[in-house]
Amino acid sequence: MQDAILAMLAKEPSHGYDLGLRLRRALGPLGGSMNAGQVYVTLARLEKAGLVVHERSAGSPDRPDRKVYALTDAGHERVTAWLAEVNRPKPDLVEFHLKLAAASASRLADPVELVDAQRRELLRRLAEAQRAVLAEPEGSTGGLLLEGIALRLQADLRWLEACERVWSRRADA
Amino acid sequence: MGRLLLVSRLVLGDLRRHPGPAVLLVLSTFVATAVLSLGMSLPGATERLYLQTRAATAGPDVVALAPGMGGATDAVLTSLENAPGVVARSRPYRQFFATLTTGGGEARAIVLGADAKPGPIDRPLVTSGRWVRPGGVVVERGFAGAVGVDVGDRVAVAGRTFPVVGIAVTAARTVYPWAMMGGPGNGPSDGAGLVWMTEPDTRPLAASGLPVTSLVYLRMADPADTTRYMAFYHDTPNSAGGRVGDSAARVNSFTWQSMAHQDDVYLRDGQPILIIGGWLLSFMAVAGLSTLAAGRAAAQARRAGLLKVVGATPGLIAVVLLAEYLTLALLADAAGLALARLAAPTIINPSGSLLTADAGPHGGAVVMTTVVAVGVAILTAAAPALRAVRANVDRRPDHLVLLSRMAGWLPVPLLLGLRLVARRPGRALLHAGGTATTAIGLTVLLMVHAQPRDGWDLGGVTLADLADDQSRRLLAGVTAAMAVLAVVNTLTMTWTTATESRATMAVARTLGATPGQVTAGLAAAQLLPTLPGAFLGIPLGLSLHWFFGPADQPPTPLLWSVPPVLLLATGLLSVVPARLAARRSVAEALAA
Amino acid sequence: MNVLQVRDLTKRHGRKHNLVRAVDGVDLDVPAGQMLAVTGPSGCGKSTLLNLMAGLERPTGGQVWLAGERIDTAGERALARLRRRSVGFVFQSFHLVEELTAAENVELPVLLAGGSPRAAKRRAGQLLDQVGLADRARQLPWKLSGGERQRVAVARALANEPLVVLADEPTGNLDTAATNEVLRLFADLRAMGQTVVMVTHDARVAATADRLVSMRDGVFVEDTWLGGGSGWLDGLFAMGD
Repeated sequence: MQDAILAMLAKEPSHGYDLGLRLRRALGPLGGSMNAGQVYVTLARLEKAGLVVHERSAGSPDRPDRKVYALTDAGHERVTAWLAEVNRPKPDLVEFHLKLAAASASRLADPVELVDAQRRELLRRLAEAQRAVLAEPEGSTGGLLLEGIALRLQADLRWLEACERVWSRRADA
Repeated sequence: MGRLLLVSRLVLGDLRRHPGPAVLLVLSTFVATAVLSLGMSLPGATERLYLQTRAATAGPDVVALAPGMGGATDAVLTSLENAPGVVARSRPYRQFFATLTTGGGEARAIVLGADAKPGPIDRPLVTSGRWVRPGGVVVERGFAGAVGVDVGDRVAVAGRTFPVVGIAVTAARTVYPWAMMGGPGNGPSDGAGLVWMTEPDTRPLAASGLPVTSLVYLRMADPADTTRYMAFYHDTPNSAGGRVGDSAARVNSFTWQSMAHQDDVYLRDGQPILIIGGWLLSFMAVAGLSTLAAGRAAAQARRAGLLKVVGATPGLIAVVLLAEYLTLALLADAAGLALARLAAPTIINPSGSLLTADAGPHGGAVVMTTVVAVGVAILTAAAPALRAVRANVDRRPDHLVLLSRMAGWLPVPLLLGLRLVARRPGRALLHAGGTATTAIGLTVLLMVHAQPRDGWDLGGVTLADLADDQSRRLLAGVTAAMAVLAVVNTLTMTWTTATESRATMAVARTLGATPGQVTAGLAAAQLLPTLPGAFLGIPLGLSLHWFFGPADQPPTPLLWSVPPVLLLATGLLSVVPARLAARRSVAEALAA
Repeated sequence: MNVLQVRDLTKRHGRKHNLVRAVDGVDLDVPAGQMLAVTGPSGCGKSTLLNLMAGLERPTGGQVWLAGERIDTAGERALARLRRRSVGFVFQSFHLVEELTAAENVELPVLLAGGSPRAAKRRAGQLLDQVGLADRARQLPWKLSGGERQRVAVARALANEPLVVLADEPTGNLDTAATNEVLRLFADLRAMGQTVVMVTHDARVAATADRLVSMRDGVFVEDTWLGGGSGWLDGLFAMGD
């Protein structure tokens, strides 16, 4: 969540309200369950960590929110590192999805390349898991856990294929 | 209604997508039913034609002949009007044993002094030209056809030249060449034709001392009852089928029944040829069509499966699969019967001496051929239809284990060929049967051709024996039909084998078999069943021939050429599809 | 040494508007002993590539060398010889000869290559034993399960000790258990140093290879080495503690 909000600010400074809106749009149907207050809490934490700053803008009378948030240099660094990072043990779907959306919006990274990198990593892991599966004798219980890991990785890889299809089409458009 | 629409739509769709099998089905059934219906319509056919001619020409119920001419002879003949059952008689006529000379030569002829206006009994039907006039003769149609004369030609009768003014048929004579009805002095007959001329024109013949016989035509109260008349004047049977009186008058009488019977002689040989030929052809049709149907079994099973999925009952599926074949078979049957009707007159009436308006297949033949056609269709479609309805998978166990074992020690093409045969023993049997049938036909044909030919001695000219000629023509026709079916069958078998083994052969090629090896394997699969079939056909053909023909005729050495010819033909025919299949890209064949 | 070499390989189907570039200028080297997986969505041209490398189809352009011999221009006879001696095939739909028993299917390539019946029999026995089907040798293919059939197909592919085994979706028609049976066999082949090129759209199958090439629309988009564990699995379990 923190990283996603930072990445969205990388494109341009925004109101908290707009950030919430963009986050919700990126999450699609899942965004409905997101609490609007969450954005402000996160922004406050990020500000405390020195990753964002805010300045008051002259808002219109009907919009009470006048804080416009922007990334600090430290914030920029953090975003770049997050985008490049692939070696998390368990890719979190929501996080990766938001990363792709943020990368595409901020143009800090090509989503298709992010997918490829992720896939390479997952394939390596799958290769390792699969070899371990095949090394187990047939019908052993130890193999079961490995098989489960392999099947999950396989599912993730399939999802990545779908991501690549959609993001590469958007890049072409 | 909806169901009918569905069935017809499915049938039409299949016909559109696979016209080849439909054409083969129609062709095979057509040939078989045509030949069979011809064979079936022969018994009694000539009798029907005779009756027809008899009705059209007011034919006599009895013809009574006595040698010589003059008062005593006439008295005996005219006295026959008092015989039991006789209600009317003609005046006495004279017939002279003369010769007819045409451009082609000289032939024996019976010259009948006719009335310029025929009386109530025997009114010959003029089929072209006109009836006799002074100085003009009429030639009997069968005779005219044999010696090749027509209206307007000039012929010499006993040395005097006459124009031919007409061609006619009559029921008062047995058909050409049996116009004599007893030789001079009621002695043995020779072949001869009939010529009419006016009574006055015959006087020079009488004066020249040619042998002469007098005759009267009798009409009975009940035409069916000629036995009382025959019993009245003699009891000794004579060679011509009539009876010779034991009185001094030496009257020789022919009833219309005996004349009708004599006419049938022509067809005695033709009938077995056509009937046996028809059955052989039907068998070949079944063999070829079953192969075809079996080859399509997989596709039909898929079709049945699809229909089942959308909720068709097994009954409906069977109807769909059978309807197509039944419709086509009935169509082919109708066409075959039509052909038989067209061809019948020339086959039934080879001498042309009878009217043929009523020739052609009748009730019994129609029923029989229809049963055969429907049987062919059911035999062809039933097994695959049943299989298609019952199960989705067509798996047969490995029947010919020995053959398979042996195959391991043979060159690869033979191994593949043998295994293909071993997997489909039924198909191999059909193929062997089809080949045997062709071999039987060829054997009988060769044997008949090897017979010495006797022609008809007509005195001066020798004309071909029409009956024998007729048999040979029919045999040649039947054999030609068999050859056509054999080629079609072989093509079907090779095509089916090639299609079914396409995947196998493609796999063999991925394993490194050359196109040549693959072709050889397919050819081997065809030739293996051909070999026993070809050899089996010869003894079967010989026994058939000996059964219906001269039993003492030795087998002709030409028979040895039958198996190699059949093997060669099968080999050549099977190489073509195999070669085509081998030329396709392996990947393409595997995907198919 | 490269067992297979492919240069600027092209295969087009159809014409004009229907022109499909199934394989569109591909370069590939497969060194001896490598197990290479080609993956990609269906229709990306990977099966065509395999067929071209085996001489089962003729390319529109480019070259293929198998063991230093150019095969894209070779004649049918030369190709037949090559398939007999240098290539073993494994197909998605097994393509066993339905008329022959398991053992006879394995004997077939040996006999085709001119081996004696005795040698063929010995080799088939040995290979069926290796794939764990010694007791099924006399069965006809339709009596075998999918996994068993594919194991027979692998045994048959190995019959003439080929330079390379080409496998087209070898597990495409199999369930998970049968897939593992076949993959174990492939793992054995890899351990034995057998060169293998397989085409698959299944990531788990592809993951058993040393190297993975991804194809899209007739071209390679990625070439990944999978060899060597990263210790990731161990890390995973450590974290679980």
